[in-house]
This record gives sequence, structure tokens and C-alpha cells, in this order.
Amino acid sequence: MSESFARRRVLAVLAAAAVLPVAACGGVKGGSDDAGSDYPTRAVNFTVPFAAGGSGDLISRAVAKAAEKPLGQSIVIANKPGANGAVGGKEVLASTPDGYNIALAVKSLFAITPLVVNDPTAIQPDKMEIVATLVQEDYVLVVNAASPYKTLEELVKAPSVKYATAGVGTGGQLSQALLFKGAGTTATDVPFDGGAPAVTALLGRQVDAMSGSLAETMEHIKAGKLRPLAIFSTERSEFLPDVPTAKEKGYDVVVDQRRFIIAPAGLPEAVSTKLEQSFAEARKDPAYETFLKDNYMERWEVSDEEARQHLKDSATEFATLTQRFGLTFKS
Amino acid sequence: MDVGSVLSGFAVVFEPQNLLYCVIGVTLGMLVGVLPGLGPAATIAILLPITYNIEPTPAVIMLAGIFYGAQYGGTITSVLLRLPGEASTVVTALDGYQMARQGKAGSALGIAAIGSFIGGTASIILLTLIAPLVADAALEFGPAEYTVLALIGILLVATLGNGALIKSVTAAGVGLLLATVGLDPLMGSPRFTFGSDQLADGIDFVIVAMGLFGVGEILYNLEHRLRPQPAVLSFGRAIPRRMEWLASRMAILRGSVIGFVLGVLPGGGATMSSLVAYAVEKRAAKDSSRFGKGAIEGVAGPESANNAAATSSFIPLLTLGIPANATMAVLFGALLLQGIPPGPQLIVDHPDVFWGVVNSMYLGNLILLLLSIPLIGVFVRLLRVRAGILAPLTVLVTMIGVYSIRNNAFDMFLVIALGILGYGMKKLGFEPGPFVLAFVLGKLLESSFRRSMRLFDGDVLGFFRRPVSAVLVAVLLITIVVVPVLRMVRSRQAARIAREPSQV
Repeated sequence: MSESFARRRVLAVLAAAAVLPVAACGGVKGGSDDAGSDYPTRAVNFTVPFAAGGSGDLISRAVAKAAEKPLGQSIVIANKPGANGAVGGKEVLASTPDGYNIALAVKSLFAITPLVVNDPTAIQPDKMEIVATLVQEDYVLVVNAASPYKTLEELVKAPSVKYATAGVGTGGQLSQALLFKGAGTTATDVPFDGGAPAVTALLGRQVDAMSGSLAETMEHIKAGKLRPLAIFSTERSEFLPDVPTAKEKGYDVVVDQRRFIIAPAGLPEAVSTKLEQSFAEARKDPAYETFLKDNYMERWEVSDEEARQHLKDSATEFATLTQRFGLTFKS
Repeated sequence: MDVGSVLSGFAVVFEPQNLLYCVIGVTLGMLVGVLPGLGPAATIAILLPITYNIEPTPAVIMLAGIFYGAQYGGTITSVLLRLPGEASTVVTALDGYQMARQGKAGSALGIAAIGSFIGGTASIILLTLIAPLVADAALEFGPAEYTVLALIGILLVATLGNGALIKSVTAAGVGLLLATVGLDPLMGSPRFTFGSDQLADGIDFVIVAMGLFGVGEILYNLEHRLRPQPAVLSFGRAIPRRMEWLASRMAILRGSVIGFVLGVLPGGGATMSSLVAYAVEKRAAKDSSRFGKGAIEGVAGPESANNAAATSSFIPLLTLGIPANATMAVLFGALLLQGIPPGPQLIVDHPDVFWGVVNSMYLGNLILLLLSIPLIGVFVRLLRVRAGILAPLTVLVTMIGVYSIRNNAFDMFLVIALGILGYGMKKLGFEPGPFVLAFVLGKLLESSFRRSMRLFDGDVLGFFRRPVSAVLVAVLLITIVVVPVLRMVRSRQAARIAREPSQV
């Protein structure tokens, strides 16, 4: 008898433990101040819609850590990967605009993903507020150090090029597709499951070239295993000053990745100001500065309107370019 | 290899701070390994912020400890509850769970721990001696080689089942189909996603394994609650008997080598290694019919292999800067945060980190062995818990684990749906093993094959032109054509001899 009683108690305690946190969350949510003048009164949830360990995760952790002090509350990171950031992003944008739910977002989701997938429920820019813009990451075209192609001119004249990409709808794919199409090269894209497998394939000379972010390629370039031929930015990168831009070489292909922080539209004025100021402060943090240098990321710090305009312009530009070259990523 | 830096690596390990973090790491790892679903990748990600304030070497020693410690812990739920939390422990569940039902849970876990220790240690020795060499060889593996390797794996999967071959093949086929859910890996078009983002990246392996094995098994057992349960009277002992040791020592050795070699390959190396080790043991056994019914070699081989693979999967990360699996990807991030970019220069620029981490694994494996043997006695008592309590607790732990993968409630519904499927399969006599493994290998097979076709400009003969892939194709052909044909010829001869006297 007593044994079964004890067991029931254990179960009851477990059940209560399961219910408690839920109840606690509900209570706090209901109590939040509409005007947001005392924001923040509790921890802020920062959704990273990418897997742990990747560039998107690392930059989020770096900036969140620096923003905790000016914000006066802790920032809790949760990884919620899926569909190039769409899964986590949509969820945060569907939440109450109270400043307690923010998310990292990337340019490619707005500028490249629409070229690849038809998503009627895609995030509409007017549903979000951009509380901080963070970084710009350039794509660099690399070949294996043992490759016979020493320059961009030699590569585009090759009889056939097999190029690796980090996947469908990535900047690496778009930049190479536009370049080789523009140069009239017979080229086949071979999408891999992320940047690291694509770099691996190039290191093993399974493919002829790849375009990847500096974070993915720089260590191999430094070690002399990969050779950079061109960079797909408007100006040369501070990290690779000797590498010409594709533009200099006569191919007007500018593709980059940009990362920023979003919140659902309709934040109270005080909340949005507090968030903007806190992240502006965080970007001045010396540890954040070191992080950017170590990870070959360049600062991109503009206003909400400028950022929106940039996303819009890039989306139009990419759509026009792919159309002009007759490229289709949709199937 | 520079002997001096190897030795100074040992000095690094024995610094009190590093010793402490090693112990913390492996203990934590073992604990999260026991919780199905909460894998090492998630744990390391959670601990990333803490490592900010620790020096690089102890930080990485601790995080690495979590990874290989989890391999020890993962076996426990695989054997006791048939809940494989990692693809590489799926095959352990086949015979391990049967052993547990026969009251030999202690032996199964004991041999797994010893096998893991030997496999892990052998792999570190090989890593120390030939890491850079092996790393370069791994680069020779391109899409073509992965295609053939995955094909071999799927063939092995089909032979895993205990029952009718046709049922194993069917289960494997459905597993392959389920692997196609998500965005097409080469075109990006959504397949079977029903317009939802939730399925865009496909279904996580853990969800499939937890659903089919764990939840399916629980549902099945609930139905049988009214019937007399096979009482588990004894658990056996954790130190294997002489007979058991004799039966498994060769399996452990073979498993260690297989694990080391395949673990180096980025993407699915550990899973393939446990699968290959199991198949090799089944072939090597005099009486292969024991497999799937509690053969100790079926636990010893794969467990040695997956631990050896866990260790050798550090090779691409530390020597090339390539993360071989999800956990290595998080470790990659951890190194970056420490200001130590993983890459070819790591061993040159930071020999203390490299050798400190590598040598800490000797110690970590020893601690894990010492930790697991007494703990086995504690864990097996789980089996004594009444089903009415164990079942909801298992479901609860499963749900937490599944949720923790992507912090997504949708996945919890998915695991229930797959649990119902697993229940149905069990009722109809289909094995979840082939299904789950085919699911894992299916993604590898499809994307590698289609990448190969692009690289070969659509010419299938390309597979024969590359030396490594040609050898693998030969292995494949020998297994599926030559061996069965020989067997058929032999059995016909035997039949003829048997018939002849009656014809006279």
C-alpha cells in the first residue's frame, strides 16, 4: 500500500513540475506593460534560426553577450533551425510585439530564397522591425591550390567547370551561377549539404571551384590549400586585399550575406528604442570587435529603412539578373 | 609526428585544472548520453557560453569529453529501453535489448563498456600515429565513394532483420522513402512537406529512431500489459564471464579497426561503422541465427566500432578543419570562439591544444570505464520499475529530448505519429532497425548519387573510373552476386548428393 502511495506521489510531483513552468510563463506574459516604459523586466529570448556552431549562431552569441549589459537583462539564445531561418523567424514574428522575442535574420532569406522556393507564407518585410543590423560577409571564389587555374580568366576559359556550393539558394550558388553564365563557361553546380562539406570536396579536388564565405574558406587560404581567384563584393575585402573583385574582372556579380536582428512589427516606441540602443552599444564592445576580426566579418550598421531598402534592391537585382541570364532555380 | 609535443601533451593533461575538466566533461557526456534525444551536440551548444571564461585547452578537453562520454551513455538506453539516441547505437539495440530481456543486461552493458574503452583507446593510438595520413585519405572520398558506401550499407541493412527478408527489405524501402521528405538536396524543391516549413529540412534522425523504437515499443508493451510479462529476474553481472569475453574479444578488435577507418569519413562514418561491424560479426559467427536474439558479439562489435569512430572523427576537425558530424560542427564553433580556428594550421600553431585534447582522451576513456562498470548495476535496476511508471517516464524523457533538438513542438507530434507507425510495424512483424538505418543512409545515398551524376556528366561508368569507388563497387558486386551464387551452387550440390541415393 505505502509503496504504491509513494509512487503516486512521485508521479504527482512530476506532473506538477511539468505544469509549473508553463503556468509561470503565462503569468509573466500577461503582466507585461503595454507602453513598455519599464522594458525589459525579464530575460529576452533571442531565437537563432540556424544550427548551433555555424556563423549565424556564433555572431548571435557574440552580440547577445555584449548587449546584456546595456539592456540590463540577460539574453537567452535558443537555436531553432529550419528552412534557411524561416521556421524560427516566422515564429518570432508571430509572437507578441513586446520586445521579449527577437531573432536573427539573414539577407539570403529575403533576396535569394524567393528565387528558389514558392512560399506563400514567406516573411513579409512589413511584418518585422529591424532592431539592429550586424555584419556583411563576402563570398570568395576559390580553387584548390593544386588546380591548373591560376586566375579568374583561366578558370572561366576552362572547357568545363564543376563547382561546389553550400546548397540550393545560397549566395555561393547564385554568385557562381551568375559568373559562369555571364562568362559563357560550361559549368555544372554541385550543391552540398552546407559550407563545410563543399570545402571538403574542393580540398579533395572532387570539384574545380567553390564560392564560400570568408569564414568558411579563410583558414584554408591561409594554410595554402585553397587559392582565391575573385571576391564577389563591390570593393576588395580588407581580409584579402590582393584578391580582385569579380567586378574588376568585368563580371558585374555582387553577392554577399548580411545578418541582422528582427522583432515583430508594432513594438512600443520605448521598447524599440531600448533594443536599438542596446545593440548599438553592443557593437562597440571590444570583445565583439575581436570576434568580427577572428571570423572575417565586416560591419554593416545602418538604419532600419536603409536595411529594408537594401533587402528590396538586392531581391529585385537578383531576380532581374537571373531572368536576364535565363537561370532558373525553381523546379 | 613530433614525440616531444606528444609527451608535453601528457603534461598538459595532468595539470589539475585540465584533469578536472576532463572528469566533468566525460561525466556530463555519459549523463546526457543516457537521456535519449538530448545529444552531445545540443549539450555542447548549451555549454558554449560557459567555455568563454575557460582557457582553450580545458574547454575543448571538456567538450570533447562530452562527445565521447555520450557514446558510453547512449548504449545504456539502447540496451535497456531500446531507445537509441544516436544513429550509431541503433544496431546495438538489436541484440542488446534482447540480452536485457533474457536477464543479461549487465553482461551486455559490461561488454559494451569494455568494447567502447578498447575501441576508443585503440583509435587514439592510431590517431596519434597516423592522423595526418588518414586525413588526406579521407579527402579521396568524394560523392562517388559515398554513393557506393551507402549502397553497401543499405544492403547490409536489409540483411539485419531477424524475420523474413522480404519484410526487412520492405521496411528499409519505406525508410528510404521517408528520407526523401524535405527540400530536394540538389534542386531545392519541396517534397512531401505539405507546404509547411516544419518539414522543409526533412525529419531529424532522432525523431525517427525515438518514434519507431522507443514510443513504438512502449505502445506495444502497453497492449501486452494484461498478459503475463516476461519477468526479468536477474540482470547478470557487469564484468563479463570468461565465455562471454572469449566470444567477444575478436569482435572488439575487428570493431575497433572498422570504427577507426570509417569514423574518419565525414558524414555518416560512425553509423556506417557500427553497421559494418555488426554485419562482419554476423558473417564471422559460426551460427549467425543467434544474431537479433541476443548475441553478445552483436553488442561488442558495433559498440567498439562506434567509439573508435567517435575518436577518429576528431581527425578531420583537428587536422583539416572539417567537422565530420553535427557535434564536431559545434566543437568547430567552440574552437572559433576560443580564437583557435580549426584548420590545417592548428597542430602547428597550437600543439598544446591538439596534443592536450588527444591525450586527454586516454584518461577520459579510462574514467568512463571506471564510471560505467559500477553504474551499470544502478541503471539495470530501471528494468525492475513497473511498466506503468517506466512507460510514462520514458515518454516524458523522449519528448524533452525530441523537443531539445530544434526547440520545436511540431517534432513532438511527429514522434508520436512515428511511434504509432512503429507500433503497427511491430504488430505486423516488421523490424524498425532496417527502417531507421535505411532512413539515415537514404539521404546519403540520394544526395551522393545525384552529385556523382553531375560530376560524371550523367555517365554511370564514372563509378568504375575512380580507383577507390571501383574497389568499393567490386566489394558490392562480390557481396550481392558472387557470394549468393556460390551458396546456391553449393546447396544444389548438397541437394543432389542427398537426392542420389533415393533415385537408385
